[in-house]
Amino acid sequence: MKNRSKVLSILLATAMAGSMLAGCGGSSSDNGSDTSAESSESGDNSTGALKDDSALAEGNDNELAYTGELSLMHYSTSEESQGNGGSDGFRSCIKSWLNGHPDITINESVLSNDDYKTQIATQAAADDLPDVFLVQGMNTKAWAEQGLILDLTDTIKESPYYDSYNQAFFTPFTVDGKTYGFPVLTTGTCSVVVYDKQAWADAGYDEFPDNWEDIKKADEYFKDNGYSETIAFGNGGQWQINSCFLSVIGDRFTGGDWFQSLVDKSGAAFTDQEFVDALAFTQDIFQSGIFNEDFNAIGNEDAREYYISGDAPAYICGNWDVSYIQATLAEEDTELYENTGFAVLPQPEGATGSTGTQDIGLGYAVAINAKLADDPDKLAAAIDFAEYVTGPAFATYVGENYALQGLTQVDVDLSNFDQFTQDFYNYSYVDTESCEIYDSYINSAVWDVLNTQTQSMLNGDTTPEDVAAATQEAYESNY
Amino acid sequence: MLSKKPKARVIFGYLCIPMLLYIFAVFVPLVAALFYSFFEWKGGPNKTFIGIENYITLLKDATFWQSFGHNIYLVILCVIGQVGVAFVFVMIIGTRFVKLKGIHRTFGFFPSTISAVAVGFIWTMIYDNRRGILNWFLRAIGQEDKTQVWLNNPDLVMTLVAIPLIWQFIGYYMVILLSATAAIDKEVLESAELDGASAFQTAIHIVMPMIKSTIVVCIVLCVSGNMKAFDNIYVMTAGGPGTSSMVMAMYGYSVSFQQQNMGYGSAISVGIFVLGLLVVGLTQLLQKAATREKE
Repeated sequence: MKNRSKVLSILLATAMAGSMLAGCGGSSSDNGSDTSAESSESGDNSTGALKDDSALAEGNDNELAYTGELSLMHYSTSEESQGNGGSDGFRSCIKSWLNGHPDITINESVLSNDDYKTQIATQAAADDLPDVFLVQGMNTKAWAEQGLILDLTDTIKESPYYDSYNQAFFTPFTVDGKTYGFPVLTTGTCSVVVYDKQAWADAGYDEFPDNWEDIKKADEYFKDNGYSETIAFGNGGQWQINSCFLSVIGDRFTGGDWFQSLVDKSGAAFTDQEFVDALAFTQDIFQSGIFNEDFNAIGNEDAREYYISGDAPAYICGNWDVSYIQATLAEEDTELYENTGFAVLPQPEGATGSTGTQDIGLGYAVAINAKLADDPDKLAAAIDFAEYVTGPAFATYVGENYALQGLTQVDVDLSNFDQFTQDFYNYSYVDTESCEIYDSYINSAVWDVLNTQTQSMLNGDTTPEDVAAATQEAYESNY
Repeated sequence: MLSKKPKARVIFGYLCIPMLLYIFAVFVPLVAALFYSFFEWKGGPNKTFIGIENYITLLKDATFWQSFGHNIYLVILCVIGQVGVAFVFVMIIGTRFVKLKGIHRTFGFFPSTISAVAVGFIWTMIYDNRRGILNWFLRAIGQEDKTQVWLNNPDLVMTLVAIPLIWQFIGYYMVILLSATAAIDKEVLESAELDGASAFQTAIHIVMPMIKSTIVVCIVLCVSGNMKAFDNIYVMTAGGPGTSSMVMAMYGYSVSFQQQNMGYGSAISVGIFVLGLLVVGLTQLLQKAATREKE
């Protein structure tokens, strides 16, 4: 009896200690196994889907003095790379670069985007960043001031691909004239109206209306004809209204200079009348009933199902939703797939800042840990890696396989793609004017306040003036 | 069967493992948070010492106090809903009319083994405006005008996010209370029955006083558990609409990690700790006062 209880207690104690230790070490060991499992997996993907990866050979084997390990953290998981051109291109580039540099190993930590943001912020706080990682536009200023990330201004100018870079993409990563990263992955719009061309033609509109009055008129038609709403939208996560709506509507009212002035802290304020007008318009339009009534309670993932299932003839979203809609419709509803078109947000009445804009850019850049400055060989390897994954090899790969663009400009031959892909390419890069994505700039403390307050405002629980005042207060105390 | 008392160093050795883990996982972070709360620290190596400025901000922070109010509301609902309802269930299961007691106990306990995130998703589906079972039910019984976007109603949202919590943990307290009632001498209950006590009288005057200490433990567990509520609310509303379902832990998380204001976030954590202690302490004081009066 005594022996039994002793054995039992030892067992229990071991189990408890074991489980607690496993809890502590969980993330790192997971990452390790993920990485090894994933790299072999991604190899299978690229051959299995028969993607053209001949472009990846360009510049993947520049001679480097460094041998050893390079730590890298990013969020292009193998799940994400299924169907997401940017992730697939990034992962393929890592693989190809490693093939060209057999003496260097990359110690990868790959997390989903949400986890990545939390993890990288925590590591930044602890001054324990990996050698190479992705930085978000709105973190650049704070991390640069903390001395966490390396000033890459001269490196970028010396890059062999400098002439083909789209210079506009560097602005979110530039603070006081110094640039801290190579913008990475693919350029994607954060705001597009996806609509069913056939349904709108039936309602009497050959093209998506360019003003909101017509949408309100069309709303009557759609409600009478069995649709639940005219435009689907999901703001349950609170950021959607900012990225997919307000960045554009704000730009239409204020124009681009106002936002630049806000970023530069040279006079503009959230309480300026134009921006308050943009908020007031946003409140009015969301209370007009053209959107699904649960827009504040569901996420964009739920709202896009309203479009896919045919409950709504239009949906406002970002490029990440478009790739999901494309993949789903191609399999489940080819008729809607062929009828799907893209349009910019209609122009609000009285908005004179700009017209026909949509917010597009690169949200992340490859940044290099400032500590690498002490080790020139390692730094050279990190720079070579950063230039390669954002250079022509990546751009050609995603251009040829997905009709997407990145930092480096290359010509894309659209004739190999179907109408859906061609239309979206033209919407994103050719036919529209671009404006800035608000939350690529300033910082999250400000946007968190604006997003939370706006959600209440859309319910009618607070006024545009109060939202503007609260945001301005957060801006003044945090930026 | 005679066991000799183990040596002191054996006891100490065994205790060392959990103590070290506890110190490492609870005590050190708490002291560290206290330390960081005196700095303006937006992440990274640079911190500026600003004394108690974070605490002054905290005292004036309307969102924090609103969140505290939400936590208190949650605590009250859950003490009644979890411990109260669990007690009623225990009394019902205890009667001789209920068959298959083991099955009731198992299925009652089942929800508390599900992760709070999954529970949040399940209930989000129930409340869903278009496909949710709640609105479907209202339509089915002809109350269509009562259907609404439930989680977007600022007045109701705290109650709505509390219901999954209550549902999830009734079984947990039920099992604790069941084991306590099982220890009551059957003869006591039988004699009460012979004396003509109704089920209600038995519950209030016999069972409750006899399992008083267990109920106190349940209430303390319930209060402290709900002071740190987070996961299911985060999944269901992320604190929205606006800040209508923001609770303290979520506010601390959002300030620390989403706004990357680690210094102020630490001050919030210390605030949560102090307020949590106060509330639990207050509960125990109230209980002591209440039981003393009865005696």
